[in-house]
Amino acid sequence: MTETFATDAKLLADKHVEFIQNLDKKQDGLEYWMTEHLRVSGIYWGLVALFLLRRPHALDHEQIISYVLSCQNADGGFGGHTNHDSHLLYTMSSVQILAMLNALDQVDGLRVTKYVLSLQTKSPMTTVCGDKWGEHDTRFAFIALAILSFFNTQDQLDVNGVVEYVRGAMNYDGGFGSKPGGESHAAQVYTSVAALALAGRLDIIDRDRLSSWLAERQLPCGGLNGRPQKLEDVCYAWWVGSALDILQRRHWIQASKLANFVLSAQDEKGGIADRPGDVADVYHTCFGIAGLALVRYPGLEEVDPVYCMPRSVVERLGLDKWQSNVPESWSQ
Amino acid sequence: HGRRRQQERKPTQDELQQAKQRVDRFRALNSHVMDLKAKSVFTKDSLDATKRLLEQNTELHTVWNYRRTIFTSLDEWQSQDARQQMLDGELKFLLDIITKNIKSYWMWNHRMWALSSLPRPEWQRELALVAKLLALDARNYHGWDYRRFVVAQLKDAATDKYAVDIQEFAFTTEQINHDCANHSAWHNRSKLLPEILTQRDEDGQLQALQTENDLILNAIYTDPDDQNAWLYYDWLLDIQKSDADRCRLLRNKIAMIRELLELEEDSKRPLIELVSAYAELERLQSGSVLETEKKECLETLRRLEGIDPYRVGRYTDMSRTLSKQWALAA
Repeated sequence: MTETFATDAKLLADKHVEFIQNLDKKQDGLEYWMTEHLRVSGIYWGLVALFLLRRPHALDHEQIISYVLSCQNADGGFGGHTNHDSHLLYTMSSVQILAMLNALDQVDGLRVTKYVLSLQTKSPMTTVCGDKWGEHDTRFAFIALAILSFFNTQDQLDVNGVVEYVRGAMNYDGGFGSKPGGESHAAQVYTSVAALALAGRLDIIDRDRLSSWLAERQLPCGGLNGRPQKLEDVCYAWWVGSALDILQRRHWIQASKLANFVLSAQDEKGGIADRPGDVADVYHTCFGIAGLALVRYPGLEEVDPVYCMPRSVVERLGLDKWQSNVPESWSQ
Repeated sequence: HGRRRQQERKPTQDELQQAKQRVDRFRALNSHVMDLKAKSVFTKDSLDATKRLLEQNTELHTVWNYRRTIFTSLDEWQSQDARQQMLDGELKFLLDIITKNIKSYWMWNHRMWALSSLPRPEWQRELALVAKLLALDARNYHGWDYRRFVVAQLKDAATDKYAVDIQEFAFTTEQINHDCANHSAWHNRSKLLPEILTQRDEDGQLQALQTENDLILNAIYTDPDDQNAWLYYDWLLDIQKSDADRCRLLRNKIAMIRELLELEEDSKRPLIELVSAYAELERLQSGSVLETEKKECLETLRRLEGIDPYRVGRYTDMSRTLSKQWALAA
């Protein structure tokens, strides 16, 4: 079903490309240095936006690859910047960047696998920690499965244990929290649903209850919030949209109203903000554009709802096989 | 998040100078700390350097890691009393800076590490602290996650673990009585109630469920548009002991909805709940829903497409599904 978009504004593609290209030039500003610790993720967000905008070469690939590789540590994981401690968040961004730039072969998959597996704890229950300091979260459960899928080493993880962990984070509203006991939040819903898609256990989801909860995220302004009573934010176009996409319920929200909201949050000088009138940043530029790609806004590449990477990249790597894990009854 | 764009004008020479100095100072301190870390310097001085840097940027998780490593490498760490003192100081430091970024995962993680490493942690004090924070921001999930962490520790140390659950349950009651739209409190309650039920006998369980029912009905009547209240009500149905109980509650739900619709007939939430109540009733007890009621459901879904157009997709899907299930024309 193709949606005809009746939007008031246009996507300022060229401006966003410029915005992303200029990010590394803003070195006079404190902001640049205060976000150094997540530089690798910043690059991932910028690259996803560029790929979806069909301008993948707007940034220098060789330079990026060499920088990302410099972020790998002795333990096999990646930090957010050179000489920063390894963490799953930055290992994920690094691997995703290398995948998009067709440079996964430049990293030793077994080394990265070993790092990820070292973060799995088995007692009292299976959890995956973000780093050796012990924080566990459904985000990390997803990331572990995703990273290992790039290297085809997923079966070395206790997948059943991870599924039970995610199941433990499921709540009365059908949503998922950050960990067992945690309140439902759209970002955690995405990571939990994506994790279950990779693990082939989408069946444990209360599809109707969760789809309703996600659909209710759309506010009168067309934007989406992350949980009831909260403000709309452009990034939920991705967190909510991708979960609905995997659940095959994209049509339970109004795509053109959402698109209008995202477009209205653009800065005419380039970049997208969390909501209209706010300062743009690369994170919201990424997830705003990815959210538009999900609802098939014209002029954008298709995006994979599990990996948040261009579908063409996911297919090239044979990682679209998660689609066969979607229960048959969902496609009816 | 949430920073307003401002009218841009060219900065003055003075402002440019000041901005450059800020950047240079931060970069210098950052390089200094990272250099100490690379050289594995674990001294009071390096501890102090990390503190000064973290005060400026609470999100430097590598520096929090380094700070923890310094603590555990100091000689004092081996003495219970010295360790207690150091970590009490650390907790105070964290309290001072948490207001800079109340949603910082790294700071909350560090606090948990400090509490877990304390020879004599004061869990009750932490509970009181979190209660204060939640009074300011009732929906802060970092606060609630931390509260659950503290309660788990209290339970671990307690001889009467059930009493801890009861205390926590009472805390959620307090929160809800203060504001029955506090979804985070209801959520926490949904995790505690099953535990509480297992500790009670049959009569006690029925009583608890009845109390819960009354509480949620009050929330619904207070604000029939509160989606969370209805979700909680449906969950109470899930944890009933029998289908007969579920059907009884569904009939009560329908009666309540009819009351609400008399006050406002185009009320979205009661309307959608009416349809789902009948659908569930028919699913539990085939034939219990009348033909007229089934037709009313389909008509209601049609009306909802107009009342709540953003969710048209959901209503048309429901129409199709129910029509098929009930063998009715859509």
